[in-house]
Amino acid sequence: MFKVRKDEPHYAYLPDAKAPTENQYGKKIDLSEEYAELTGKSLNINGDSSISDNPDRYKQHGFYFNADNCISCHACESACSEKNDLPPYLAYRAVGYVEGGTYPSYTRLNISMACNHCDNPVCLKGCPTRAYTKYAEYGAVLQDPDICFGCGYCTWVCPYNAPQLDVKKGHVHKCNMCVDRLEVGLKPACASACLAGALDFGVIETTPENRDQLKTSIPGFPTADITNPNIRFQQTKTLPQDMSRTDATALKYHRNDETGEYEPMVDEQRKSDKKLWNLRKLLTSHENAHIAFTLSAQTVIGAFFIVLFAQYFGNDTGFVDFAANVSSTYLPLMATLLVLLSFGMAKLNLHLGRPHRFYRGFYNWRMSPVSREIAGISLFFAGLAGYALFAWFNNGVAQFFANLSALAAIIGGVGGFYYMYKLYRIPARPYWNHWQTGSSFVGSALTLGGLLVVIVVSITHGFTLTSATLEFTAIFILGGLIIESLGLLFHARDMKHSHSEGAVSYYEQTTTYGKSWLFRNILLVINSIAVALVSIYGLSGVSGAILGVVLSLSILTSAILGRALFYVLVIPTTMPGAFFWRNKGFEEHARETGLANMPQAGVLADNH
Amino acid sequence: MLFGRNKKNPIKIADKGVVDWKYTTCGYCSTGCSIEVGLDKNGAAVATRGVAGADVNRGKLCLKGIFEHELFNIPGRGDKPLIREHFYDAFEQTNWDTALDKVADEIKRIQSTYGRDAFAIVSTGQIMTEEFYTLGKLARGVIGTNNYDGNTTLCMSSAVSGYKRSFGSDGPPGCYDDFEHTDCLIAFGSNLPEQHPIIYWRLKQALEKRQFPVIVVDPRVTMFAQMADIHLPVTPGTDLALLNSLVHVILDEGLEDRAYIDSNTTGYDEFIKTVEHYDPVSASKICGIDEDTIRNVARTYANAGAAMSIWTMGINQSTHGSDGVCAINNLNLVTGNIGKPGGTSLSITGQCNAMGTREWSGCSGLPGYRVLEKQQDREDIAKFWGIDPEFFPKKRGLFQTDIFPAIETGQIKGMWLIATNPMTSMTNTARIRKILEKLDFLVVQDAYQDCESNQYANVYLPAGVWAEKEGCFTNTERRVNLIRNVIKPHGDSKPDLWIFNQMAKRFEQGQKIKFPETSEGVFDELRQLSKGRMLDYSGMSYEKLETQKGVQWPCTEGDETGSPRLYTDGKFQYPDGKAKLLALPFIDNNEVPDDEYPFWMNSGRVVEHFHTRTRTGKVGNINKFSPTPYMEMNPDSAKELGIQHGGYARLTSRRGDGVVMVQCTQRVPPNMVFIPFHFHECANRLTLGLLDPHSRQPAFKQCAVKIEAVADQHAAAVRNKEARAF
Repeated sequence: MFKVRKDEPHYAYLPDAKAPTENQYGKKIDLSEEYAELTGKSLNINGDSSISDNPDRYKQHGFYFNADNCISCHACESACSEKNDLPPYLAYRAVGYVEGGTYPSYTRLNISMACNHCDNPVCLKGCPTRAYTKYAEYGAVLQDPDICFGCGYCTWVCPYNAPQLDVKKGHVHKCNMCVDRLEVGLKPACASACLAGALDFGVIETTPENRDQLKTSIPGFPTADITNPNIRFQQTKTLPQDMSRTDATALKYHRNDETGEYEPMVDEQRKSDKKLWNLRKLLTSHENAHIAFTLSAQTVIGAFFIVLFAQYFGNDTGFVDFAANVSSTYLPLMATLLVLLSFGMAKLNLHLGRPHRFYRGFYNWRMSPVSREIAGISLFFAGLAGYALFAWFNNGVAQFFANLSALAAIIGGVGGFYYMYKLYRIPARPYWNHWQTGSSFVGSALTLGGLLVVIVVSITHGFTLTSATLEFTAIFILGGLIIESLGLLFHARDMKHSHSEGAVSYYEQTTTYGKSWLFRNILLVINSIAVALVSIYGLSGVSGAILGVVLSLSILTSAILGRALFYVLVIPTTMPGAFFWRNKGFEEHARETGLANMPQAGVLADNH
Repeated sequence: MLFGRNKKNPIKIADKGVVDWKYTTCGYCSTGCSIEVGLDKNGAAVATRGVAGADVNRGKLCLKGIFEHELFNIPGRGDKPLIREHFYDAFEQTNWDTALDKVADEIKRIQSTYGRDAFAIVSTGQIMTEEFYTLGKLARGVIGTNNYDGNTTLCMSSAVSGYKRSFGSDGPPGCYDDFEHTDCLIAFGSNLPEQHPIIYWRLKQALEKRQFPVIVVDPRVTMFAQMADIHLPVTPGTDLALLNSLVHVILDEGLEDRAYIDSNTTGYDEFIKTVEHYDPVSASKICGIDEDTIRNVARTYANAGAAMSIWTMGINQSTHGSDGVCAINNLNLVTGNIGKPGGTSLSITGQCNAMGTREWSGCSGLPGYRVLEKQQDREDIAKFWGIDPEFFPKKRGLFQTDIFPAIETGQIKGMWLIATNPMTSMTNTARIRKILEKLDFLVVQDAYQDCESNQYANVYLPAGVWAEKEGCFTNTERRVNLIRNVIKPHGDSKPDLWIFNQMAKRFEQGQKIKFPETSEGVFDELRQLSKGRMLDYSGMSYEKLETQKGVQWPCTEGDETGSPRLYTDGKFQYPDGKAKLLALPFIDNNEVPDDEYPFWMNSGRVVEHFHTRTRTGKVGNINKFSPTPYMEMNPDSAKELGIQHGGYARLTSRRGDGVVMVQCTQRVPPNMVFIPFHFHECANRLTLGLLDPHSRQPAFKQCAVKIEAVADQHAAAVRNKEARAF
């Protein structure tokens, strides 16, 4: 048990306040009914089996933040980091700010934020390893680093940047609500440390002494709709119409006078019209493994379905020639698919903080799209391997198993593909949360799958292609390119006019990565036209071969560039940062200039 | 088990394994927070927490205190004494005897060749009171140099000077409890949330219970300014005009406390003659605060039952800092706001023991608020120490800011720096560098071997830091706090007290005078020397200091507790018992912006750093909040000059240049920039630091600079990174 001092100050104790039955989202505050089977047990904190007598133990607790009062003294953050023994490069709680007005009528609004122990913990639902638990005790959402394999998906889905991926340790850790202190009736360390009457803590929907409001929003705080966070605010002072961020995100929050709410939009003060390539940043991000995995998995799934289509329906649809071609190329084709998929899966696995825990990826198949994706792709992989093996033998039993394997691969492929798409539909990441993510994935599968098939077929046939083969695969390639392009068109339009971080992503897309983006768009158009022409006129001779190679490379470049843009441009709905701390721009700068080599700079020199 | 995992692991929460909490007092600022350091079973300091029952901080700590246990093991600590012939040679490790002998020999050589005052001693506000007193004994009674001062000249000497001029003695008359009683508070150039977060918390607690107007005078929109009811964005360096005008309105409208003025002050006639010139219309043209606001603030202050003023460096660090302090005292004298609950003139001090050095180091005179100019004081101390009173000079020697120019012109040949880092802290870095190069002999005594001034040392003496030693600090509200020894000094470093005592043994006169070995033994001398005086310690003991978590002086023998306020009876320290109302004409001698250098440069502190970052620059969990210097700049001005938020800009003044990262914010006006002073080779490359005529404190906060965009951002980033080692 946490040791309470004899003279523990009054402010450190949890207040005795009457809470309503339901919270503002209509959920019961008393959690003992919902989690009846969990009540009355020890939390086993550090192996201590005692059970607390805190009378509010089974009520949802939450932080209370009086934004009028915060002075950004960092006491809460520091008390948290001290208690949890955190390294300088990472923190469970952080204070950022937004500012507005003109000197001297200037206002800075500081926001201290940790985990909101949400009613709808998207981290828990997203985590493939079931490292998260929502406890009946205090409604605390706790994460167990010993289970986590460091994929960082929780850090994608959380709108508040609460879970912290510790790249050095290879796992995530986060705010634990100081449940050890709660068990003995004390507020968490951060709330007890506050020096400004800003941060407080208690049963949710209870108002601390001297406070009036129980708001669920303040400027800079993402909409409560996503997770139903257990934090309440007071913010009574009138703020300027525009509140800007100081971190590198060119984002401001603009008051909509009809609703009184502040909506994110591009900060024109920071706008620059400069169009840049930024290729190095684009191609060396932490998400490179995802580029490799998604593209290779989509290519393989696409190619497999094309092959399957050729195998089963080729003769009926007039592509007899192609079907025959595929049959005769069967082994190299299957081998290529298996190798490529293995490569993608290996890249994905190795990017985990703890690759040896890969098997835990299935643990949360009930809730996590990541688990389902992994399950689907694994099933697909098994099916693919089985199909490749059994279809090789020409007897009935083998044929049966081949069909069974194909069925497994179809189910796994479709399921895995769907959840691969689904896992990016993250409300906290508006740039991804659009149907275009799906069209892009389908487009890649068709284009790259078709391309792969046609390349393998061509190689195995001495660099000759029949017009039927060309026509058949061109349909897929061109179809993919068109689907992808249409998706991008709508996506760009929607992002540009969105009232979300998506608008800033669009701004970054057209400026910071403007030239890369434009180049990819041009490639898409040229590739589409070229594929159409090739399907009509065919490829022949040395010039044909050269053209084929160039076109293939062009398609591949466009796909990789596009996918890299997809990852680098996403701007999560996270809390505003400060000028140095939680400022992605400064972190990059510190790495580039070597400031990060000093551990006390608080930036990890190597974040991969 | 593949798809489900029903059994949860036990919850793991970091446990630092503290087995013992040791009582001590924070070693950063002058707030005087009681701290407990947690030791694990190996005796390593692993945690810190605020002492719950301490009146000052009531269990709270600011971020620096929260991570204070990390101080003991940060990089750059000195382990062994170092020695070298010239500053451009490489240091060699040596033993204590060799190092101390060398220092003593050099002091003797320089003094015998060039005179006693040719060796200067510049100390600090960082070491314990017992150490200050011992150093004073060594400097004044043994070595006998009159060029002995502390770095408090850079932060508090205007407050000291102002208190002396107004009240006849140094000594802040108020306390934190005044927040609970006041009906109006004005803060002049004080940014409590950033500089003294715990004092801000005490104020905020008072405001939660009871609303009263808070008025903040500051050219920047600090968090304090933002939280205030009224913010006066004053033109830099003109607060004296504002203060004179406030008094003008009060007297003009008959809002003064006439009875208090009549019975407790002198100098009214001359005072009123000067104040007459500062009608709000004229003053508004100088200070940039409109006349209506001046009247409104003056009336609010005068009509409040009890009103208090606090100030920090915004007042002290200007060309008329001492006058500014006197003007604040004037304001409180005419409204009868001295010595009553909620009515006070309270200087919010800087360093943890700036007060201790003021009281006991003898930098500005002799221990126990005694002065060299008084024969009685010289005789008292000479007798107590057992030396000839004629050994003392009859007049105070040079201030720190005059010692450096005296090195420049060759009068001073050797110097001993104790826990201070002028290479970063003093104005005009280039000049300071040149001055240090000129010394025949420099000894640097510091806990940190990597403090930049050590670049010019011939001998480096590694000292213990904070709770590696034992002794007292006096805080802003005159509270004497005890620092218990928590762990032993790092490596072969030694407590400053030990170093001073060993040095004394190396001088003939030092062998005649008693130098107690323990800090408690020294404390006993303080009790005896303070008996019956304003700063009476005689009722204190180490035990009492720990049980009561600090005792405010005066605490006379037999008193159970200390005294929260001074001058409660209206009796001041001038011989006639009255305070002086001083005539303070405002002369604008600042380097004001012009066509060539169109921006004001303002400097100041940020909450995460302390002084020259020798400590905070290495504690990652606080340094990370500003790991590299930055400049607050108005975005409109930045746009005009083509300067990017987050990019680097170049600043030039008449002293030199600097590159610094730009943070665009409307917190500062279009013609001003603000740079934290903590960083080596940054703000002070540019500062002018004109000296206050009374306190000799430099005007750190006002000078003129030119700003330009930097085309080669990468080169600027490299230059910035290479400018400092931490």
